[in-house]
Amino acid sequence: MTPSIRKAALGSLAGAAASAPLALSLGRASSSIALAAVIGAIYAVSMRRMPHAYVDNLMTAGALAVPLWGLVSVVVLPLLSGQKPEWQAEEMMAHFPALMGWVLYGSLLGLFIQALSDFAEHLFGPEAENVAPVPQERKRIVILGGGFAGMKTAEHLEQELHLNSSALITLISETNALLFTPMLAEVAGSSLEPSHISAPLRSSLHRTEFIRGRINAIDLENRKVVLASDSPTGELVVPYDHLVLALGSVSNYPGMANVEKLAFNFKSLLDAIRIRNRVIEMFERADRETDASQRAALLGFVIAGGGFAGVELAGALNDFARGILADYPNLSPNELSIVLVHSRDRILPELSESLASYAQKKMEARGVRFRLNARLSDVRPGIVVVSDGEIQARTLVWTAGTAPNPLLKSQSFECDKRGAVKVDPTLAVPGHPGVWALGDCAAVNDCKTGKHCPPTAQFAIREAATVAKNIVAQLRGRQPKNFHFDSLGALCVVGHQTACAELSVPFARNSSVRFSGLLAWLMWRGIYLSKLPGMERKIRVLVDWVIELFFPRDIVQTIDLQQEKP
Amino acid sequence: MPATQPSSIAPAASDSFWDWSRLLFGLATGLLGGAIQSKILATPITHGALLGGTFGLVFSFSFSRRATSPGAGLIWGLGAALLLWFTTHFGVDLFLLHPVSANAMLSGARSQFPELVADLVCLGMPVGVVIGLRGAFRSKQTQPEFRWDRAVVAGGLAGTIAGLVFSGWEYAGGYLPLLGGLPEFQSQTTAVILHFLVALLIGSIFGILFQRDVRGYGSSMGWGLGFGIFLWFFGPLTVFQMACFQSLDWSAKQGTNLFGSLVGYMIYGFILGTVYAFLDRLWVRLFIQSDPLNREPEGLGSHFLRSVKWGALAGLIGGLISLPVMNATGILPMIAGLDTSFGGIRGSIIHLLVSSAIGMSYGFLFRDEAPSTGLGVPWGFLFGLIWWYVGPLTLLPLILTGAYDWRASAAVALFPSLVGHLIYGGTTAFTFLFLERRYKRWLLLDPRIAAREQRRLRPIGTPAPALWFFALGLGVLLPILLG
Ligand SMILES: Cc1cc2nc3c(=O)[nH]c(=O)nc-3n(C[C@H](O)[C@H](O)[C@H](O)COP(=O)(O)OP(=O)(O)OC[C@H]3O[C@@H](n4cnc5c(N)ncnc54)[C@H](O)[C@@H]3O)c2cc1C
Repeated sequence: MTPSIRKAALGSLAGAAASAPLALSLGRASSSIALAAVIGAIYAVSMRRMPHAYVDNLMTAGALAVPLWGLVSVVVLPLLSGQKPEWQAEEMMAHFPALMGWVLYGSLLGLFIQALSDFAEHLFGPEAENVAPVPQERKRIVILGGGFAGMKTAEHLEQELHLNSSALITLISETNALLFTPMLAEVAGSSLEPSHISAPLRSSLHRTEFIRGRINAIDLENRKVVLASDSPTGELVVPYDHLVLALGSVSNYPGMANVEKLAFNFKSLLDAIRIRNRVIEMFERADRETDASQRAALLGFVIAGGGFAGVELAGALNDFARGILADYPNLSPNELSIVLVHSRDRILPELSESLASYAQKKMEARGVRFRLNARLSDVRPGIVVVSDGEIQARTLVWTAGTAPNPLLKSQSFECDKRGAVKVDPTLAVPGHPGVWALGDCAAVNDCKTGKHCPPTAQFAIREAATVAKNIVAQLRGRQPKNFHFDSLGALCVVGHQTACAELSVPFARNSSVRFSGLLAWLMWRGIYLSKLPGMERKIRVLVDWVIELFFPRDIVQTIDLQQEKP
Repeated sequence: MPATQPSSIAPAASDSFWDWSRLLFGLATGLLGGAIQSKILATPITHGALLGGTFGLVFSFSFSRRATSPGAGLIWGLGAALLLWFTTHFGVDLFLLHPVSANAMLSGARSQFPELVADLVCLGMPVGVVIGLRGAFRSKQTQPEFRWDRAVVAGGLAGTIAGLVFSGWEYAGGYLPLLGGLPEFQSQTTAVILHFLVALLIGSIFGILFQRDVRGYGSSMGWGLGFGIFLWFFGPLTVFQMACFQSLDWSAKQGTNLFGSLVGYMIYGFILGTVYAFLDRLWVRLFIQSDPLNREPEGLGSHFLRSVKWGALAGLIGGLISLPVMNATGILPMIAGLDTSFGGIRGSIIHLLVSSAIGMSYGFLFRDEAPSTGLGVPWGFLFGLIWWYVGPLTLLPLILTGAYDWRASAAVALFPSLVGHLIYGGTTAFTFLFLERRYKRWLLLDPRIAAREQRRLRPIGTPAPALWFFALGLGVLLPILLG
């Protein structure tokens, strides 16, 4: 017998046994007994096991009887007999005997239920707790990577599996937090505190085991993941039944060793912190530099790549650098140069031409210079070499190329020419049962349009939902579903309170609406704030934004960059 | 963390002396109380002693494990005394006087009102407090730490602040309900000083009695309400009369005359409980929970926001379900000359919005108060009852007309909406518990959170059931009896 049925049976028995005062005051014996039994059953089911809690039950059930009197005697019973509820004062006073009947019934019910359940426990043993038994064999789902794709897969799996403990979820990642990349430029631009845009994986996930570590290899044959280990005892090995590849992408510098060595990356939190500190460092050095050409190089910042990341970073750095000039009275705005180098004839290829040219105009008006149709070929200390000439600059940030995580290339997966793992429409890796891939490291095609899905967080999040559902479907012997998602559009901040937005019109493929200026900027902030994981982080970011309205950006150096890139 | 530890049930008696001693204590206090009761009610002393002695024995036998402090003992004692009154006067009537006549029973109940006061003041209170004191000494080691300074400072401050809020409303009318039952004062200043002294005293006693039982804002509010009801019996109906060297008048008529003071005491108790909880929680938040060593896996802010969100949804559902009743009964049917056109779509929308807002406060006030649905819904009913006294009886008329009416006749006229308020409270609590449990069942898979939830939830054995019984029983009964 399930615990609830046992409770209900005992409750209805106790209810019927306690029904005398109710029957006497309501006057309808059989229906009163039935009512008393039903209420007894509901009361018993709603209670937790409490051995020997006689007085507690006596008082609780007695107290509950008072509102029940109001509900049943005053409202429901008159309604059932086709009359109006009798809640005028005089009518309610006429129900006074019923109130007494209810209270006494309630108190007796509490006592009887306790007595019966203690007796039943004595005879048949304690009620089994209402929890599902832990299955003998538990499937192990291992997720590699704690970015949008990995973290969201774990979150969806937690929701899909809910209370089902037949599967264990493990997430392995090099970083212990999910980085909210859309706000990374604001960290580099010193308007947001770095940790405010990262959600710690351990706190965000509830039943997922988290292992922080670097994956060295995947043993597909023996279904194991091998982690690098600091301990002399050797590597850590994690076995899996289902493996989710969500290792993201890395910066890619095709044949440019100098650039790889001297340029700053813009992918991780540490990258953003470094860039911010670098700007401050360059200002400090320029402040005491007397040679004009040296000063120009120190105050020259080049951003390679005119996609979203590059444009947003150029806008944020321009605002930051021009803002802090107020703290450096020796430096003049004319000495400062923020240059965006892009290999095509227009920036932001993901947006329509009109918006891209709007963005460029706005940024130029705020002081950003553009070198379009120009390829970056080399970098030397103080000089950035571009196909149409050289730029004096000590700082170069690279956002112009990424490649899927190289670890995957070394495995026997079939990859596309970028090195992304090919997947079928259900996001499973063909030829490797139980292995799934998504996010920036996977070559995903939409099942309806057949188009290649761009490597963005927007898609990674939706792919995560599909992967989680499909893994659970496989565990339960159901058919997996194909991945389909229509992009919602794109938003890009180009400078202080200015942004461009192109949003898709729902159900009308290929149509979109465009916004620019303050409205688009407000949309950007509203949308991304709502997407930022965790209420606490949202509040912290909101506070940072409010502070920024009233106080200048911070120029405190938090890391020492003296020894880093020259 | 004293404030978040469960208050424990006294351990089973191990030595026979203590076992017998509780019965002796109970019997002696009961006999004494019974004798005083029969003296006041002018009944044969044997009758009083028999009733008191039996009550004392039964109480000390069945409730002593629960009465682990004077405060817990008081609440259990009051609940038991109310049950005694119900059983001795109406249990018999129900079985013997068949068919029962409502009028006869009601007028019988009115004539038995002095016995109700006597049972509460002469039996429930003293027996409960004595057994509670004994329990406090016995279970000293197993109880969470009791801080006198925290109790007196938070309680005294809360009492005074509540008195201040209260006198702000009252002063204009020159009527101070905390002093109801005392004769008119010559000097307004004396009255005000006395009002604050009473408020300070009540607050400090509240803190001392209930520090361990009050866990959150909601329960503190409930305790305040229950304590307020009791104080009305003890103060205006008893001690104040004695202080004026009057012979005690416990009749229903005197109760009706002092009904305004009863509502005053209830609302005062409600404000006191809420302010006390605020100060006490603030202390715990600022000095205990903010300590990184006591950090919970989930921040306090997230927990708060989630509870408020669930509360809003629960309140909306409570509002929807109680809407037909509220619409049919009208919220303000008795205030003359007032635009009470709260019907129609506009009225319904206002009702739903207000319900949702009040639901938010429910979520904030009553989170973590219930380990199961059955133990959570009574809080909701109590919440509904409190809002009936605070809303239509006090705040709404105050906001709309600048005056309110606490006479028994006003309470009677507003009676129909009481059912709606109870339904609202019950449904809100049920929905809230459903949402809370649904979320927690899943969260409990995380062992860190499971351990925390266990620590945080109100455990079995606190006097909450007696409080519900006492406050709900009298909160509904008194307007009927005295109206
Ligand atoms: C500056 C910037 C701004 C962006 N703005 C937007 C935007 O506005 N909207 C949008 O949709 N997209 C945006 N993107 C793109 C978006 O961030 C990526 O598409 C998304 O992060 C991809 O998620 P992912 O989980 O596949 O990879 P990632 O987020 O890169 O995560 C990979 C994870 O794998 C871990 N990992 C990698 N290698 C190993 C290893 N060997 N061992 C252990 N762990 C490892 C990493 O630590 C990381 O946690 C932006 C990207 C950048 C850089």
